[in-house]
Amino acid sequence: MQPELPSLKGVALAKGFGEGEIRTTALKDVSLELYRGQLALLMGPSGSGKSTLLAILSGLLAPDSGQVLTITDDGKYQDVWSMTPKQREKYRLNECGFIFQGYNLFPALTARQQLEIVLRWGNGATYREARKRSEEMLSLLGLGAKMHLKPAQLSGGEKQRVAIGRALIKNPRFCFADEPTSALDWHHGEQVIELLRAAAHERGATILVVSHDARILNYVDTSFHMEDGRLLENAEPSAKPTPVSAGMWRSA
Amino acid sequence: MDYALATLWHDRQRYLPGVLAVAFSAVLISLQCGLLLGLFSITSIPVDHTRADIWIGSPQVLSVDLGRPIPLRFVSRVAGIDHVEVTEQYMQMFGSWTKPGGGSDLCIIIGSNLDDGNLGSVDELTPELRRDLTEPFSIVVDEAELDRLGVTGIGDTAEINKQRVRIVGLVHGLKSLAGPYVFCNLNTAKALLRGLNPPDHTTYLLVKADSPQGANEVVRELRERYPDMSVFTSEEFSIRSRLHWLTKTKAGIALGYAALLGLLVGMVVTSQTLYAATVASAREYAILLALGIPRWRVSWTVLMQSFWVGMAGTVLAYPSVLLLARGADHLGAKVLLPTWLLAAAAVVTMTMAVFSGMLALRSVRQIEPVNLLR
Repeated sequence: MQPELPSLKGVALAKGFGEGEIRTTALKDVSLELYRGQLALLMGPSGSGKSTLLAILSGLLAPDSGQVLTITDDGKYQDVWSMTPKQREKYRLNECGFIFQGYNLFPALTARQQLEIVLRWGNGATYREARKRSEEMLSLLGLGAKMHLKPAQLSGGEKQRVAIGRALIKNPRFCFADEPTSALDWHHGEQVIELLRAAAHERGATILVVSHDARILNYVDTSFHMEDGRLLENAEPSAKPTPVSAGMWRSA
Repeated sequence: MDYALATLWHDRQRYLPGVLAVAFSAVLISLQCGLLLGLFSITSIPVDHTRADIWIGSPQVLSVDLGRPIPLRFVSRVAGIDHVEVTEQYMQMFGSWTKPGGGSDLCIIIGSNLDDGNLGSVDELTPELRRDLTEPFSIVVDEAELDRLGVTGIGDTAEINKQRVRIVGLVHGLKSLAGPYVFCNLNTAKALLRGLNPPDHTTYLLVKADSPQGANEVVRELRERYPDMSVFTSEEFSIRSRLHWLTKTKAGIALGYAALLGLLVGMVVTSQTLYAATVASAREYAILLALGIPRWRVSWTVLMQSFWVGMAGTVLAYPSVLLLARGADHLGAKVLLPTWLLAAAAVVTMTMAVFSGMLALRSVRQIEPVNLLR
């Protein structure tokens, strides 16, 4: 059920760090295509360049060469790295959600406030609107009874669900997740991946997950493997996804 | 609740040094300025504790204790003017006090009319004291100055300008800065100041007018007509006396520096507290920046936190200021804390707190969302 055109394309991306003799190459001529409604996995050993690729695709780190093309409403492509910094900030604000290693939640704020802050500061939502949407999102994530709790009162899995809620509250077209399960046991990790897959399938988002956890392979629609800054042959998903927790995101 | 305020409350232990630093600055500034006001209010006691509307003295007199003799005939200049009700002589000059046990010190001799309804005797001189002072060479001093004067109390004698005087009474709350005040009648003052004050001269002429507007008119008219004497309303002369001491002595500068130092210490501690708190939340802020939330929102939060730190510090400071001022009063140091001073101290410390927040903003500039991916 892939649409005809990729929603995000990386074209001949290259990136190195450092100068002169200590210069290391993180990415060499990497190209890939991601589609709407797809959960994609980017795998590889430490130092293979997968986080660098995620940073470049998500508009956080400029490549040395190559393009990151995002599809516009009229089916054309726009290079994220040809935008001005202001335009890129706006692009991230309107189109991108992020989930990073660890939860990075504000210790002082309740689960609901963690989401509200994104809507109020980013989209200028009114307090009432931000509160309503945050409550809806947390209810969908099964945190309806815990939205008034602060991170210290939540379990690891619950915290990661709040972080997912924060990433998806704006209803972004793209969501980038860096090792979203690394701090969780497999039971909770599996829940997180199912949530992300449901978000891709039911909300039509393009979700790219960076992980070294091979168990995730069974849940994704497509996967990419990296080694030494290069993308290996595009691998087919090892198992076709089965609908899980169907309709999870429908009402959002 | 405001997110900045929620963070402040949640991490109150982290922000406490900043709050205490602001409170410290506010306390220091209020008390230093209060002490300064208290100190210099002493110099205008003769003006503030008497009932004249207008003071007439030597040309360009800078402060009430620096008056030079003026001819008594100036009375006639005043007498014929509209709105003038009463005119009175008033003497105030420095004298040399010789202690009974040896040694000498400066004193300020104040001689005034002592009749009921007079203009120039300080309010603290009761009718009994004024009656006792009619006796030649009798004086009244402040109880707190007895040590400095080398005497023990009523009945003791000493010498002023080589003439024997006898203490007939004591007052309270009239401790002076330059030299103890010595209150006496006009004739005693003239006798003690013989040689310093020519015959038919006085230090000031005091005037009572029929109304405050009347007093202003008298002052304007006398200033226009007679440039060889100074004419002030009592408010003007009081402020002039205080300002003279404030600007001409190093005491004001020293206290000012101490207050400035307090501000600087407060600013450094507050700024560091906010900086450290922002760095500690750098990962959370980085997420927001990654999500496309503009950097100024994060900066604004830091500034809001500095505002609340300032508020908390200021609120904490006021009870301490009042308590310490009471303590200082107990120790004999006068601290004046008018509302405008407390308000000004609050404005200065709040400004300092927000400025500290601006200094801490360099931490926000260091936040890079891409660092979350390394």
